[in-house]
Amino acid sequence: MSVRLGARDVSRAFGPVRANEGVSVEIRAGTVHAVVGENGAGKTTLMRILYGLDQPDSGTVVINDQPVRLRGPADGIGHGIGLVPQELAMIGSLTLLENLVLGTEPRSGPRIDWARARGEAEELASRVGVELPWTALADNVSISVRQQVEILRALRRGADVLILDEPTAALAPAQVDDLLRLLRGLREAGRTVVFISHKVDEVLAVADEITVLRGGKVITTRPVGDLDRTSLIELIVGQQVGFTGFVPSAVTGDEVLTVAGSVSLSVRAGEIVGVAGIAGSGQDELVERVVGLRPPDGRITLAGQDISTLPVDRRRAAGLGYISGDRRSEGLSMDASLADNTIAGTHRTLGRHGWLKPSAVRAYAKRVLDGYSVRYGRTTAVARTLSGGNQQRVVIGRELDRDPKLLVAAGPTRGVDVLGMTYIHDKLRALRDNGSGVLLVSEQLDELLDLSDRIIVLHGGRVAGEVPGGPASRTAIGTLMLGRTPS
Amino acid sequence: MSVCPRSNPDKYSRVLTSGFRAVVPFVIALVIGGAVLLATGHNPLAFYQLLVRESFGGTDRIAATLSAATPLLFTGLATAIAFRAGVFNVGVEGGFVLGGLTGATVALHAGLLAGCVAGALAGVLVSALPAWLKARWNVDEVVTTLMSNFVVAGLTGWLVTAFLQAKGVANSATPLIPRSAWLPDLLPPYGLTSGVLIALVLVMLYAVWIKHSVLGYELRQTGLNPRFSAAQGIRVGRVIIVSMLISGAIAGLGGAAHALGVVHRFVDGFSPGYGFTGIAVALLGRNSAVGVVLGAVLFGALASAGTTAQLFSDIPLDIVDVLSGTVMVFAVIRLWRQR
Repeated sequence: MSVRLGARDVSRAFGPVRANEGVSVEIRAGTVHAVVGENGAGKTTLMRILYGLDQPDSGTVVINDQPVRLRGPADGIGHGIGLVPQELAMIGSLTLLENLVLGTEPRSGPRIDWARARGEAEELASRVGVELPWTALADNVSISVRQQVEILRALRRGADVLILDEPTAALAPAQVDDLLRLLRGLREAGRTVVFISHKVDEVLAVADEITVLRGGKVITTRPVGDLDRTSLIELIVGQQVGFTGFVPSAVTGDEVLTVAGSVSLSVRAGEIVGVAGIAGSGQDELVERVVGLRPPDGRITLAGQDISTLPVDRRRAAGLGYISGDRRSEGLSMDASLADNTIAGTHRTLGRHGWLKPSAVRAYAKRVLDGYSVRYGRTTAVARTLSGGNQQRVVIGRELDRDPKLLVAAGPTRGVDVLGMTYIHDKLRALRDNGSGVLLVSEQLDELLDLSDRIIVLHGGRVAGEVPGGPASRTAIGTLMLGRTPS
Repeated sequence: MSVCPRSNPDKYSRVLTSGFRAVVPFVIALVIGGAVLLATGHNPLAFYQLLVRESFGGTDRIAATLSAATPLLFTGLATAIAFRAGVFNVGVEGGFVLGGLTGATVALHAGLLAGCVAGALAGVLVSALPAWLKARWNVDEVVTTLMSNFVVAGLTGWLVTAFLQAKGVANSATPLIPRSAWLPDLLPPYGLTSGVLIALVLVMLYAVWIKHSVLGYELRQTGLNPRFSAAQGIRVGRVIIVSMLISGAIAGLGGAAHALGVVHRFVDGFSPGYGFTGIAVALLGRNSAVGVVLGAVLFGALASAGTTAQLFSDIPLDIVDVLSGTVMVFAVIRLWRQR
């Protein structure tokens, strides 16, 4: 059996961080090969090396059983390797067909031969079993469709190995199914697929072989038949993980939040209300209106008090907490010290006669950071120096320490690995069990199903429906997210 | 990534690095100036020695340097406060000029203290409209404050010639302020006024206030990340307005101090661009209190030494402009990388 693409004893370090250490993988032709691991396990580094975007410090890339030196992505493409990045690079004002052929247009003389381009596109699409609206503008189609075009574009350039970096991150469940079907179609057509993910269920559903990376090293490579959900998670994390699963709320009290407007909903004390929807369905607007960062389009009350016209600081004083979905630019100030990040929003109550006592600031920050197990050196270090998971703990600590009546949590575990995720989930449940209300907005369906007592599904800026929490609601949410009515 | 924090440089080396970065523009300026001097057949080292001697060699020269640095301390500090809040206020020149005219006119009738207060208020007035436009509609403050300089230049010129012109003076100037309303000299017979003390006290207050006050905290956070600040409940618009008004007040007070201490009236060409040099001072000093003092003294030294150095050498005064211009260019490069 031939190795279509692989790495032999590859190491790559960035300063003191060993991103890859003696990594060897063999990806056989005509298979779907998944590479899984936590954040920082070295998946992306390995893919960049395999594609030629980065060069290993030692070890070598293997193509068709032969050691090869890739000097840049052009070399990767020359060897038939295509990369579908996480951020899709498409020109929104061009049609899908124009995007497909951009840079390699079929010509007849000086003109572009659009008839032939169309023919090639149709043929490519039918070979992998998809249908695409070729004349639609890229701006007007879903991320899922754009991704399919991106895959076809790589195929059209002669790639028979496709590397997909976290391709399902922004997709709705039904779209994930479409993508997985497309990947199987590619395999049927004899192509090789490298699929990077940290979503265990998808990997188990589509891969032939799975390579687990942890701490920059290959832990194991196994055929999918040898693994189940639990064993794979334990391999990824390196220890047993106690998943709490769905635990509905025991007691709910009065409404702590009511929102009326284009989206209307309410959250009771002791309740986690989830908000689901494809990205851009009105979640951001809802969150910003509740927090006070966007003018209201209706009445919003917090614990009975009308807060629709109050500024952010008054809402916070009334008992609002906010975990921003955009940690890097809104949740934290990356160039400010940990102390300054921790006291933000509380700084006025900490001050005396308009002055902040340095020792009081330090003590407050230390208490919060230690209380939420943040690994840090000094409170004067800037937030940027912490790892992503630690940064999120700073945010969680800052917001939960004030014991909010209502917590707005937008993507609270985004970019956080499995262990960090279980920690944050437990904290959110504890907050709820303590009698607070939580409005949880998340792109991760599993998170919503596990945590929420009720889930409100948004579509096109409106409420499409409401379902109870728990694993049974998965299909119903998927249907509502796409704007259809569940049968 | 789940890796340990990046190696955390200790405080000592951090101070060293930032100190090193701060002097880089100056070193580059010395090298370029040296190249120009060499090319024209002069000895750069000898000239630089002369510059140092002429700016710091003796009480009289130090007094002259500090005197030249005084307006720059005011304008540099005024600029630094706004920059620290993320507001690129380049209208300090206008505040300085209107503060000078107002201070000179009010002191004429109401004395020293009233002149200083009026000057500061005039500076507030100049910065108020750009501040409000920025906070309310996010109008680019670089455009509005830059334009306000021209408005003030035209306005002061017209006010002086139309209403405030001193009798029997040919050029456009207000009447001489009575000696009782002058800022007292610090080191007679040298022309160093107590304005430098006011400026230094303000710089020291700034150092403590920005670091340890609630408002200083909000100002720093707004400058570092306005989105973060707004989400945590800091009223970013209000912070921007406050920083601009304080900046304007200091600029106006600086103008009044210059009028009451040095010129003793308001004249055409009152400021040879102190406000703009103040931008370079703030950038070079990275908006810190110590940096503003060092930057102001550096530019003050270049200005005071430049005028006398040409008495002792055949090197044209323009080489000093080459030096300060180069420092400014590199300081501005830093400005654009910050934005």
